[in-house]
Amino acid sequence: MIKIDRSRCIYCGACVGVCPKLALILKETFIEYDEKKCINCGTCAKACPLKAIEFRK
Amino acid sequence: MKADYDVIVVGAGPGGSFAAKAVAKGGASVLLIDRRKELGAPVRCGEGLGSHWLEELGLKVSPKAISAEISGSVLYSPNLKRAVKIQNPETKGYVIDRKVFDKDLAIDAGRSGAEVMVKTEVYDVVKKDGKPCGVKAYSMGEKLEATCRVLIAADGGESTVARMAGMNSTATLYDTDFAVEYEMVNVDCEDLIEIYFSKDAAPRGYVWVFPKGKDVANVGVGIGGLERGNAIDYLEKFIKNNKRFKDAQTVAIKGGLIPVGEPLKELVADGLMVVGTAAHQVDPIHGGGMALAMEAGGMAGEVAARCALEGKVDKQHLFEYEKIWRKKVEPKLMKRLRLRKVLEKLNDDDFNAIFENLNDDDLNKLIKGDYKPVVQKVLLKRPQLLKVLSALI
Repeated sequence: MIKIDRSRCIYCGACVGVCPKLALILKETFIEYDEKKCINCGTCAKACPLKAIEFRK
Repeated sequence: MKADYDVIVVGAGPGGSFAAKAVAKGGASVLLIDRRKELGAPVRCGEGLGSHWLEELGLKVSPKAISAEISGSVLYSPNLKRAVKIQNPETKGYVIDRKVFDKDLAIDAGRSGAEVMVKTEVYDVVKKDGKPCGVKAYSMGEKLEATCRVLIAADGGESTVARMAGMNSTATLYDTDFAVEYEMVNVDCEDLIEIYFSKDAAPRGYVWVFPKGKDVANVGVGIGGLERGNAIDYLEKFIKNNKRFKDAQTVAIKGGLIPVGEPLKELVADGLMVVGTAAHQVDPIHGGGMALAMEAGGMAGEVAARCALEGKVDKQHLFEYEKIWRKKVEPKLMKRLRLRKVLEKLNDDDFNAIFENLNDDDLNKLIKGDYKPVVQKVLLKRPQLLKVLSALI
């Protein structure tokens, strides 16, 4: 389960590139998160250059 | 929009636009699609481009796309006691404005005959017998579907199109650097790219200052994906601890991922080609991807047009692109990857010691891939590095 802070996100797509399940999709100015596809690996939160993703196990 | 094309290119960055132009010039019909309403934005790049690429790629850069001209680079040791400067005709380059540059390339593709659609987001790849043969997209409130003989995925670091088509191009934390950059004003700079090596300031990556004018610069940091913290922590620290930035104002924030490991194991599949950062075609040392993307895009587009027109778009025929790329480009990248892997093993003391004895001539040799004389010189002063550095000879 992740939470994306849109006030920090610069929609660079780094999280999308590392998501192994395509649970994150870059829309033009935000990231769309599909909780059903997410496997809770936390990779996106680690990757985010802006620290905009909070990962909760 | 028609419903059928010889080739569809997804992603109108430098690689995609180059590919689309090459397809059009090859006489095939091509659709170039991009998610964004404004090409080049948001910028996620240091924006540096070596001037030798202009000739190699047959590229014309309009004066408007050039923010600053660069004469060379300066590399700093971790303790900042040594700076090695390298300035020669081959180190000349530009810091460009991606917003202008990318659009110019798309304009070029459009002029060559490509159909261009912006604000069009591909949400799925259409397949027939498991092979990609088109895309589904949202565009201006409509759902569209277009078919093609060859699909070129040039959608950058997210690389979702190749994955939707069935190719695993997911970036791993191990093989990827994550970067954030502030464009800042009130930063004095020369016409030099500044690179700072330090495990403390940028573990497994580096800090950079790319001048965009006399007092404007892209100041950024990239760190290895498995390192502690996030890139922004390191950038904030670098700026805070450096008096040079005391009056600096941030006028833009940019960021992204940089695949700095090996290129994808496969660049083509039946009906599919992958180019640029989407294919992890990135320089493993400096992380630059624009020029490599344009180069690969041109190669892929030419082959795609020919194959589509002949109706032979299986993997074996599209492989021509991969064959050319692996022969012409990959060996250089793999050699630089070897250097990267060695640099990753060095600590700051090693770097400081190496910098003590390093001059611009050595740096030139490293850039050219002539590692042996530099390694020998370093080993005389630091024999304990024999095991690590032997990978370079």
